[in-house]
Amino acid sequence: MLQAFWNWFDPTAWYPLGRVVGGTIYPGLMATSGVIYNILHALHLPVDIRNICVLLAPGFSALTAWSTYMFTKEMKDESAGLLAAAFIGIVPGYISRSVAGSYDNEAIAIFLLMFTFFCWIKALKTGSAFFGTLAALFYFYMVAAWGGYAFITNMIPLHSLVLIIMGRFSSRLYVAYSSWYAVGTLSSMQVPFVGFQPVSTSEHMAALGVFGLLQIIAFAELVRSHLSSKQFQTLLLASVIGLGVLGALGFVGLTYKGWIAPWTGRFYSLWDTGYAKKYIPIIASVSEHQPTAWPSFFMDLHFLIFLFPAGVVMCFNKLRDEHIFVILYAVVASYFAGVMVRLMLTLTPVVCVAAAIAFSSLLDTYIDPIEPESIVEGQPEGDVAGAVDSKKAKKTAPQPTSTALGDIVSKFSSSSKPSRPHGIFGLNTRLIVILNAIGMLIFFVLHCTWVTSNAYSSPSVVLASSNPDGSQHIIDDFREAYYWLRQNTPENAVVMSWWDYGYQIAGMADRPTLVDNNTWNNTHIATVGKAMSSTEEVAYPILRKHDVDYVLIIFGGLLGYSGDDINKFLWMVRIAQGVWPDEIQEPNYFTRQGEYRVDEAAPPTMKNSLMYKMSYYRFSELFGGNQAMDRVRSQQMPKTGPTLDYLDEAFTSENWIVRIYQVKKEDLLGRDLKTANAFAQGKKRKRTKPPVRRRAV
Amino acid sequence: MLLLPLLALISLPLALALSNDQTQEQLVKLAEAGNGIIKVDDRTFDLLTAPKRDWSVTIVFTALDPRRKCGPCKEFQPSYNTVAKAWTKVPTTERNKHFFAIVDFDESMTVFQKLGLQSAPVVHVYPALEGPHKPASGRTSHITYDFGNGYDAEPLAEQLSQHTPVPIPYSPPIDWTKYGTFLGIALIAVTTLRFISPVLKSRWTWAIITILTTLIMTSGYMFTRIRGVPYSGGGGQWIAGGYQNQYGQETQVIAMIYGLLGSAFLMLTMVTPYQTSPGRQKAQIWLWNIVIFIMFSVLISIFRVKNRGYPFKLLL
Amino acid sequence: MAGPKSSSAAAAKSTTPSSTSSSLTPATSNAVHTLWKAYNEATSSRLKTIDAFLVFLMLSGIAQFLYCALVTNFPFNAFLAGFGSCVGQFVLTASLRSQVNPENRAEFKEVSPERAFADFALGSIVLHFFVYNFLG
Repeated sequence: MLQAFWNWFDPTAWYPLGRVVGGTIYPGLMATSGVIYNILHALHLPVDIRNICVLLAPGFSALTAWSTYMFTKEMKDESAGLLAAAFIGIVPGYISRSVAGSYDNEAIAIFLLMFTFFCWIKALKTGSAFFGTLAALFYFYMVAAWGGYAFITNMIPLHSLVLIIMGRFSSRLYVAYSSWYAVGTLSSMQVPFVGFQPVSTSEHMAALGVFGLLQIIAFAELVRSHLSSKQFQTLLLASVIGLGVLGALGFVGLTYKGWIAPWTGRFYSLWDTGYAKKYIPIIASVSEHQPTAWPSFFMDLHFLIFLFPAGVVMCFNKLRDEHIFVILYAVVASYFAGVMVRLMLTLTPVVCVAAAIAFSSLLDTYIDPIEPESIVEGQPEGDVAGAVDSKKAKKTAPQPTSTALGDIVSKFSSSSKPSRPHGIFGLNTRLIVILNAIGMLIFFVLHCTWVTSNAYSSPSVVLASSNPDGSQHIIDDFREAYYWLRQNTPENAVVMSWWDYGYQIAGMADRPTLVDNNTWNNTHIATVGKAMSSTEEVAYPILRKHDVDYVLIIFGGLLGYSGDDINKFLWMVRIAQGVWPDEIQEPNYFTRQGEYRVDEAAPPTMKNSLMYKMSYYRFSELFGGNQAMDRVRSQQMPKTGPTLDYLDEAFTSENWIVRIYQVKKEDLLGRDLKTANAFAQGKKRKRTKPPVRRRAV
Repeated sequence: MLLLPLLALISLPLALALSNDQTQEQLVKLAEAGNGIIKVDDRTFDLLTAPKRDWSVTIVFTALDPRRKCGPCKEFQPSYNTVAKAWTKVPTTERNKHFFAIVDFDESMTVFQKLGLQSAPVVHVYPALEGPHKPASGRTSHITYDFGNGYDAEPLAEQLSQHTPVPIPYSPPIDWTKYGTFLGIALIAVTTLRFISPVLKSRWTWAIITILTTLIMTSGYMFTRIRGVPYSGGGGQWIAGGYQNQYGQETQVIAMIYGLLGSAFLMLTMVTPYQTSPGRQKAQIWLWNIVIFIMFSVLISIFRVKNRGYPFKLLL
Repeated sequence: MAGPKSSSAAAAKSTTPSSTSSSLTPATSNAVHTLWKAYNEATSSRLKTIDAFLVFLMLSGIAQFLYCALVTNFPFNAFLAGFGSCVGQFVLTASLRSQVNPENRAEFKEVSPERAFADFALGSIVLHFFVYNFLG
C-alpha cells in the first residue's frame, strides 16, 4: 500500500505536466491518518476517514500540550509545566492551525517539534543514547511531516555550538548529539522528498559541521586525559580550532564549487528580506509570507508576549544547559516570526514555555505561606536607640543596603547566594498579587475564546455576513460554483484559474487544473498569469494549447469581497513579467499618474486584459441603468462594460463571486472569432478593397 | 537621357544610408561632447528616434530645474549619470550602437507634450528598428523603466542591460565607509579585549542583548524595515489605522510597554521578596501591581485602536 | 615532556650532527610511545575491546569513502547507507565507551553501565533498520 503512495502520479494536476505526488509531498500527515484509520477499523470502530481527518488536529494538539508540559518540566518543575500546557492549549497562535478541520502539516508538526526538543533536552541532561535515538526517531517523523523540519536541523546544532563556545562541552553533549545526528540524518534520507539533501544542501551543513567538530573535540579531550603537559594541551586547543576553521572554509569552498547547493529561496528570503520580491515573486506574493505587524503578535499571544522576556531573564538567572536552549530558541523564533506571519507558529511554543516559567515563579513566590523572619525590624530600632553610634552601626550591620537600586544590583551580581532571607510579608500583599495574576489568566481565557470564535473558526470556503436586521447571511458561492462544475461539465474538462484555487477545484469540483497551491512550476504559473493579463487574441492560443475548457475567476466587486482576482492581478502581472519581460510590463497596467484604476481612467492594457474583461463582463447591467459601482475598489465603472469574443459566460454564482467562462472552440469556417462574432451581431465587414468595376466591353 | 534620373534614383537610398551614417556620427559626437549623455532638444530628439535607426537609445525625461520641485528627478539623476558613464567604457563598436540622452522639461517642452508625459522622471528605451540589434520579439514601441526597485544605479544598470547590445559594465562603488567602520570596530575590539572580556563573559550582558532583541522583534520592527513605512503618519498621527499596518514610532512605544510590563513582573518575583523591611516590600508590591494594571490597560486601549472590533477593555 | 625532549634532542645532536629536522622524529616517537604506554596502563580490557571495535569501524569507513571518492559513487544511496552505518555505529560505540568508563561516573548519574549497553543496543538496532531500508 505504501508502494502505491510512493509511486502515485497525478495527471490531473498541473495539466498537462502532471505531478509526481509521491516524490514531492511530505507523507507524514497522510500516513498518520491512514494508521489511525486502520487501527480503529481493526478494533471494529468504523470511523469515517473524513472524521479522522477533521479531528486529527485537535487530537494532536492535546499531545502538543502534553509534550510542552514535559519540556517545561525539564526547565523548571511540574507547576511550570502545567501552566505551559494550559497556555499552549488555548493560545490563538497555535489554535489557528489546530482547529478541527484544519488538515494541514502543522497539525501534527508542532507536536513533533516540541516532543523532539523534549527528547533532545532529556538526552542532554541524562547523557543517554536512548533519548538521543528517540529524538532521532521523532525527528524522522517530523521530516516526513513538514518542511519546517529544517528548524530542528539547525536549532540543535546551534545549541550544541553555543554550549561548546561557552566551554560547556561534556560527554553527555557528545552522546546526545552524536546519537541524534547519526540515526536522525540517516532516517531522514528515507523520505523520498528529502532524498540526499542532508548531505548536499546548505541548510543541513550546520548539523554536519557541528557533528565533525564534536568528534574532534571529544578526541582531543580523550588524548588530553592521557597527557599532562600544559604545552601539549594548548597545542591541542590550537589544532582543534584550526581544524574547525579549516572545516568551515571547506564548506564554503564546496558551496562555491556547486557541490553543496546554496540556501533555497524559501529560506534565503528569511535573511535577505528583499530577495523574494525581486527574484521569486511567487514567494513574495503569498499572504502568509508577509512581515508581521505588532497587532498580530498581541492578538495571537495576549499577555504571554510581555511575560516572555521576563521568562527569558529567569532562564539567564539559572543558566543550565537546557536554559540556553530556551534562550536561543526565543531569539531565533522572535526574528523569524517578525519576518513572516506564518512563522508565528514556531514562536508560540517557546513563548508559552518562557511565560509559564515566569508566571509560575511569580505564583511560587506569592503562594508560599512561609513568612521570612523580620530580623531587620529589631536591629535598626536598637541601633537608633543608641543614637551616637547609629550611623556606624548601620554601616557595620550585615543587612543589605537601603536603596532599591542597590537591591537590584546586589541581587543580580550575587545571584547564587541562597542564604539571604527572602519571602513575602503579610497576607494582603499576597492577595493583591494573586488576584492580579488570576485576573490576567481570566482575561487571557476570555481573549483566546473571543479570538478563536471570531478569527479562526470560520471556514474559508463559506463566508458569513450579517443582514441589516442582524441575522446571519451565508455566502456559499464557492461551493455553488464548484458543484456546478462538478455536475455540468465533462469529467476531463480542464479548468484554468489562479493557483490559489487549484486544490479547491481539484477537491470539490474534481476537474483537472493547470496550476494549484503546490506552486512548484514557476513557468507554468507565469503562463497562466500571461494568459490572464494579455488581450484575448494573445491569450486564446495559450488557452487552446493547454486544452483549457473553462476559466474560473473570483470577483468581489458586487459584494465587497476584497480577496478577489482583480486585487491579486498585479501579482499575476509580476510573475508573468518575470518570464516574459518583453511582452508584459507592470507599468502599463497603471495610469499615467501611477494609480491602479479599474474605471474609465484605466489604461487600455488593463481594459483589454482577459482578467478585466472576465471580471466586469455584464457587470454594468446589474445596476439597472445607473452606473455600476465596484465595492472593493470603490470606483464607478463605465456605462458600457467589456465584450468577450473568445469566451462564453458559462456560470456566475449568486453573489457574482465566482465566474466561470467556457473557451470557444475554433470557428468552423476558419475565421478568427472576433470577426465571427461581429458577423453574428450583424455588423458588416469593412471592405478593404474597392469593389471591382466591370468595364463594358 | 534616362541616365540622370536613374542615377538620382539609385543615389537616393545611398544618400539616405549616408545620411543615416551621418546622423549616427552626429550623435556620437554629441555623446562625446556631453560626457556620455546627449542633451536633447526637439531636433536631436527626432534624430535619436529616427524611423530608420539601427541604434537604440535610453532617454530620461526629467525636470531638474529647482522651480519644478521634482525631488525624485534630482534623486535619480546621479544614478543615471553613473550608468551612462559606465557605458562610455564599452569599446566603440558596441558603444556607438546605444546612446544615453536626457530631456529636460524646461529645454524641450514640446517633446514632453508630444509624448503626453505628465510626470517625471521617466526612462524610455527606444529599441533599434533595423540592423543586427533589432529586438528578436519584433517590438518597435519604447520600453518604460519601472522604478519599483528605487532610484539606485544598480537595478537601473541591470534592467537596461537587457536592451543594450552588450551588458553595461557597471560595478557598484566600493563602500569604503562600511569597510572602514568594520575595520575600526575590529581594531578597537582586539585592543580592548582584555578589558571588555569580563563584560562579554558576564551573562547579564548577553541577557540585555537577548531581551532587547526579542522586544524589538516582537514589536514589529522587521515589518517597518521591510515595508519601509514612515516613522509617523502625516499630521502627527503615530498609530497607523488598520490591523496589518504600523508606523516606526509604534515599534518603540510598544517595545517600551512590553519592557516595562516584563520588568514589573521581574521586580515582583526577583527583587521584592528580598526586601527585608515589610513596609518597603508592601509599598513596592503595590507599586508594581498598579504599574502592571495601568500599563496593561494602556496596551489594550492601543490595541483597540488598531483592531476596532475588539470587545474587551480594562481601565481606559 | 620538556625533559625527555631536550635530552633526546641533545642525544640526537651528539650522534647525528647533520640536520635539526631529524631531531624531531625521535621526540615525536617518544611522545607517541609515552602516550601508548599511558593508554595501555590506564585502560581496562573492557574499554580496550570497545576501542578495537572503534578502530575496525574507522578503517571500514575510510575504505568505503576511498572507494566512493576514487572509483565511483553509484549507487549513492548504497554508499550513504554503508558509510552512515559505519559512522553511526562508531559514534554509538564511542558513546558507550564514555558511559562505561569509570572515570565518567560523575557525569552520567542516571545512566548505569548496564543501561548504557541497553541504549547502545537499541540505538544500533534502529540505526541498522534504517541502513537496511536505505541500501536499496
